[in-house]
Amino acid sequence: MSATVARRVFLKSSAGAGAALLLPFHLSGELRARQFCGSSPSNSYSPNAWLELSPDGDVKIWCGKSEMGQGVRTALPMIVAEELSCDWHRVQVVQAELDPKFGDQLTGGSLSVRTSYENLRKAGAAAREMLISAAVAEWNVDRSVCRAEDGAVIHLATRKSMAYSQLIAGAVGMQPPADPPLKRPAEFRLIGKATRRTDVPQKVNGSARFGIDVRIPGMLIASVERCPVYGGTVRRHNAEKVRGLPGVRGVIEVKPFHLTHQFGDESGAGSRNYSCAGVAVLADSTWSAMQARKALEVEWDEGQFAQENSVGLREKFVKLVSSESTVMRNDGDFEKAQAAAATKLEAVYEAPFLAHATMEPMNCTAHVRDGECELWAPTQVPGAAAESVAKALGIPRERVKVHVTFIGGGFGRRLIQDYAVEAALLSRVARAPVQVVWSREDDIRHDFYRPAAYHLLHAGLDNQGNLIAWRHRATSPSIDIFYSGTGISPRAAAQMNGSDFPAYGVPNLRFEFAVAHSGMPLGYWRSVENSGNQFVISSFFDEAAFAAGRDPVEFLLSVLGPARQIDLGGNRGTIDVARRRRVIELVAERADWGKPLPKSAGRGIAAHFGYGSYVAQVAEVSCDASAGSIRISRVVCAVDCGTTVNPLGVKAQMEGAINFGLAQALKSAITVDRGRVQQSNFHDYEVLRMSDAPPAIEVHIVPSPEPPGGCGEPGVPPAAPALGNAIFAATGKRVRRLPIRAADLGLT
Amino acid sequence: MAISFTLNGKAQSVDVSPDMPLLWVLRDTLNMTGTKFGCGMALCGACTVHINGEATRSCVTAISSVAGKKVTTIEGLSADGSHPVQQAWMEEDVPQCGYCQSGQIMSAVALLSKKPSPTDLDIDDAMSGNICRCGTYQRIRKAIHRAASMQAGKAKSAA
Repeated sequence: MSATVARRVFLKSSAGAGAALLLPFHLSGELRARQFCGSSPSNSYSPNAWLELSPDGDVKIWCGKSEMGQGVRTALPMIVAEELSCDWHRVQVVQAELDPKFGDQLTGGSLSVRTSYENLRKAGAAAREMLISAAVAEWNVDRSVCRAEDGAVIHLATRKSMAYSQLIAGAVGMQPPADPPLKRPAEFRLIGKATRRTDVPQKVNGSARFGIDVRIPGMLIASVERCPVYGGTVRRHNAEKVRGLPGVRGVIEVKPFHLTHQFGDESGAGSRNYSCAGVAVLADSTWSAMQARKALEVEWDEGQFAQENSVGLREKFVKLVSSESTVMRNDGDFEKAQAAAATKLEAVYEAPFLAHATMEPMNCTAHVRDGECELWAPTQVPGAAAESVAKALGIPRERVKVHVTFIGGGFGRRLIQDYAVEAALLSRVARAPVQVVWSREDDIRHDFYRPAAYHLLHAGLDNQGNLIAWRHRATSPSIDIFYSGTGISPRAAAQMNGSDFPAYGVPNLRFEFAVAHSGMPLGYWRSVENSGNQFVISSFFDEAAFAAGRDPVEFLLSVLGPARQIDLGGNRGTIDVARRRRVIELVAERADWGKPLPKSAGRGIAAHFGYGSYVAQVAEVSCDASAGSIRISRVVCAVDCGTTVNPLGVKAQMEGAINFGLAQALKSAITVDRGRVQQSNFHDYEVLRMSDAPPAIEVHIVPSPEPPGGCGEPGVPPAAPALGNAIFAATGKRVRRLPIRAADLGLT
Repeated sequence: MAISFTLNGKAQSVDVSPDMPLLWVLRDTLNMTGTKFGCGMALCGACTVHINGEATRSCVTAISSVAGKKVTTIEGLSADGSHPVQQAWMEEDVPQCGYCQSGQIMSAVALLSKKPSPTDLDIDDAMSGNICRCGTYQRIRKAIHRAASMQAGKAKSAA
């Protein structure tokens, strides 16, 4: 299995735990001065890319992934520090720049801990073993009587000890062990311990530097007017009138550029991953650039998608979903079973386009000079930024240096490198460092959107209330076609997995998917297609439970079936049904499932299995029909993400994912008309606010010795259906389209 | 024409266009980047600062209107991160991406100065103008309650 294929599989969320990717393991064993780190003493010890010990006892650990809130600058260094057996309080975390020695620096697919775990443990363990060897040589004792602990090697018999800082000289030049012994989980002192984030002090005093905070001497700020229709180009503009405005230093046309595929795949014919065409106003302050841009008049060639609109796309959906399409899975005989069913259900579900709306608008700083480019980029894929920029500038990739900044929210938006290409192209023409800063309007109108989707579902129950037939037909624009081109297979283009629930639990089951072509730019939105699909699946499943007259938790467990391992085949890992059942049982118990509630209140359950983790959630709501309002009183979540590196971080990811999922459920929708996105800022593209957020989210972690699973995404999909199912329990009104509208619930 | 005001306790004078929002004066003219740009329309709260002690969206506040007033930004809250609200934020491990947190903290400090022991409803009212896309709302709520008790404890021991 190639790394590329593996990434795609993971981003498309295989249902099972999956096999972890191993990154190249770099051990150089050299002693070197780090010229670029002014504070590092020249006699520091850096046995590999990931860590450096200084003679004063400090430990630097490099974080090879981008910190966008998910906690990698804490969890990843914890893994190194655990095996190094150093004092966590002496650890300083350093953000890695783009460098092959850090392996794959893509941050996405809930992969960071999963793909780094073994490698970072080895890096820490190798250094620890070399330091032990140095102590063994120093004391001339047997290795078996020495142990590393809290930044020192201890001679067990005499309790004499030497700090790592004293052992550096002895370890220098040693051959690093290729396969150092790793700790047994019972020996862990840091992994599994709730640990506060390393980046919080700088995030509460304003000193954390995000991409937008980069300040380079002589830097100009660019504000870009982009074609309102994706794929359009510039015909003419009134640059001359704008050039004379206060603070303006230049007006530059920006051509669209094809962006490197973010996962290193081929962007085949028909792929549409381009940056936008536009006209940039460069000025000496952001305000001047934004003000002068208002005077800009641009005539556009709007291109082939100027008629794109949400109403027309929905009509396309309705047609596509009513005819047979690409079969993603076909078990038993759906038609026969459905014909014989005692109770038949049918429903249509809908979910809209969504923007990511990260709090830090898109931005990037570039300095192009002497055939080189230096980037300061809030990016999830510094490698793709370098490649996209190198291609746009026509220079070798090695001549693009990328500094990764803190990221003010990613959620998948910063997998795409359009803002980096804009900054580089502008810097080249301006012959100065340029920071391109998007307005919120730019950000909402020029996103790569979570595709809208339309689903038609059928289910059949026998006269015992057993689910015997299930058909799920879905249609939506395809993210994979957008990036990889029209040459990919219909199965590869599908926004649906053959292993999705309730596969393996219903004897007669068929999944079908039809691609609905659309001009909208598409992208990966936290949990990708699962964000919408799980809402549909778990809501319709709840409909079936009620039609069967069965308790939704009991119904869910009965369809999951007995504890067993399900091999998904083709290196896609396995599903552990015992782990699926456990999170459901745990969440039901902790949420007081089955305990009576007041008449207008209800609970709903939903689960998601993917990214190597198992998540179940129960939402509890109370409905005030006279006020026309639904109040979420609490959300309870159970997660089994295998080995938990930082429980505090896992809980934060679940809490955040639930709020993100509730924003989808309650607030957000993007629509398009005449090729133009109709929303522009937080007044018409709403997200969750404090007053909407549940007063309490409880997260319960199932202890597990299994390899780590992902945590950034799997908490998102269950939130919307758990809420919808709770609303049904409270009101009898079924939510079948997002976002939930008061009118759909008969509350207005 | 120079516009003078007090910034984090010190006299400050800037020579910029009078309609330039305080946000951009802070970020671009004075290189104080702790105050964040999020929406430009007072919709998200990322740019919240205090003007004469009131939580204010600096992205829609013309610098001319600040003349002679006292401005406090996240950088001026404490010299060493020791403000009870900053402490509570650290204790509760609130931030994720952290981009909105300067604004969240400034709104929370303003709330606590008016209501030393706010209810959940008070928090909803005061904080709903500050968006956090990472979804740290529950921890923010806890941190505000914690800061309230820390401040109450301090007031008690001082009395």
